[in-house]
Amino acid sequence: MPRAIRGVLIECDPSIKSIIVNIDSVNHDFIIEDLDEERVVVKENMVQLLKQKLEDVRL
Amino acid sequence: MSINPSLSLAEYLERLPGTTFKKLYQQPSTTFAIFRRMLPHLAKTFVMRMLFLPHPMTLADLDAWVKPEAKRKKDQSLSILRSLHIVQISAPSKEKPQEIQLMSNFKRSLRLALTGGGNHNSFGVPSSLMVPPEIDLPFLDRYARKKWEDVLHFVVSSVGYKSSLGEGSGPNKGVKELLIAGQLVDRRPNGSLGITQAGFTFLLQEANAQVWTLLLLWLEVLGNNKSSGLDPVDMLSFLFMLASLELGRAYDTNALTEERRNMLPSLVDFGLIYIPQHKRSMFFPTRLATTLTSGGNSLRTISEGVAAATQSAQTSQQSLGLLGGGGTGEQAGSVVIETNYRLYAYTQSALQIAVLALFAKLNMRFPDMVAGRLSRASIRQAINFGITADQIISYLSAHAHEQMHRTAALTNKPVLPPTVVDQIRLWQLENERMKTTSGFLFRDFTDDKDYLDTARFSEEIGVLVWRNDNTRMFFANKHEQIKDFLKSRKKAE
Repeated sequence: MPRAIRGVLIECDPSIKSIIVNIDSVNHDFIIEDLDEERVVVKENMVQLLKQKLEDVRL
Repeated sequence: MSINPSLSLAEYLERLPGTTFKKLYQQPSTTFAIFRRMLPHLAKTFVMRMLFLPHPMTLADLDAWVKPEAKRKKDQSLSILRSLHIVQISAPSKEKPQEIQLMSNFKRSLRLALTGGGNHNSFGVPSSLMVPPEIDLPFLDRYARKKWEDVLHFVVSSVGYKSSLGEGSGPNKGVKELLIAGQLVDRRPNGSLGITQAGFTFLLQEANAQVWTLLLLWLEVLGNNKSSGLDPVDMLSFLFMLASLELGRAYDTNALTEERRNMLPSLVDFGLIYIPQHKRSMFFPTRLATTLTSGGNSLRTISEGVAAATQSAQTSQQSLGLLGGGGTGEQAGSVVIETNYRLYAYTQSALQIAVLALFAKLNMRFPDMVAGRLSRASIRQAINFGITADQIISYLSAHAHEQMHRTAALTNKPVLPPTVVDQIRLWQLENERMKTTSGFLFRDFTDDKDYLDTARFSEEIGVLVWRNDNTRMFFANKHEQIKDFLKSRKKAE
């Protein structure tokens, strides 16, 4: 039986994606599914936090 | 209170249960309004062709009406018709081909609306009293504009500047509370009111969509508040009825039900209707009300709003519509931008100031001018609102002050300082590295066929965002119809 999982699709550069994967690797609480080089599905309630973390990394 | 602030009429209707639609479609005026406003042309054609059919028709016959290359459009139309509970399609089964027909309520009401007859009074009862001579179209337009501008000014004045209007003016308390409940403005920690992102989106919408945004908020707030005794369904059909009334005519309030009469004061606050002081038994719909169901596009995104503002300046045409550009009418050529990112705008238009505040940090306001500067943070804020660097640049160049043009012509340089233009683009590149779409990931399909059919279905109804056939996963931005599709497939097996 197919499943539908609520989430947010993020499309970005491979470089950004690897940062996201890296952020996730600490607690594994962001990523629902790693789709491919440039896409990843993230939990809806974590997107804001993720954006913030990305911001911190870049500065 | 959690209310989705950018709710459009279509989304609102989609969330209503089927029984609500049954009630709504009892009124010919509602049916007609939904037909007029909510349906794409192809869907209208389907409805009209099926309207006087005595029996259901097979889906195969319907397919024959549509050229094969327009299949996608057809499927989308059908999906809209289904989500608005206008058509009924029988479940697929082996014995009988699938059949389609209009819902009986909808069919009966639309027939009544088009051909007349019945005593449903759903198109309003004109008042038999003498109409005061001073109430004419210009008067009603002035009145509606004043009321609506009050609302807009209230939203804008929270950008950090005190509006020139005193505390006593502005919209009614109820309207203010509604705007706060809808999160178009919110209370900042220091007690003052501030505009929100939703508020900006709201400001840049066209008037018609603004009215709907506010009305839907109102419906939702009252719907949550059971003690008000108002039934959102009845209110919605009353709004649709207002939309079908004739501008400049007086209607009888006594012909309305008690609940609807109770709604009138709020509608007066929004400027949708006018009730003369000394003749309480009649009301006049204003242009805000009668245009509710005209105009196809309901919601304008923030970036389209900026684009529209740019365009209106380029053609340097003052908006003749009721509420074009915050009422005061933006003049073209008021913005000066210097190479040190400082920005000066000679304007009093609240809307233009609000637009500038979207992407510039304004720190001074004079009676005739605002001053501020562009910064990385301010541009980033704009990009978060969904505005692109190109839109900012074209807005700035469309609104560039005469003096900028003169200097540019003298020194043979572009109108906007190239350093600023480049920097805005660079700031955007730095920020725009991620695109997010919320929705649903579909996975764990048992076999290829299952997956391919479902993915194709979601592509046809236009909700598919991404698919990967190798891993049998796809991402869609809506799931209700896919769920139904999966269910009906399971049944058919």
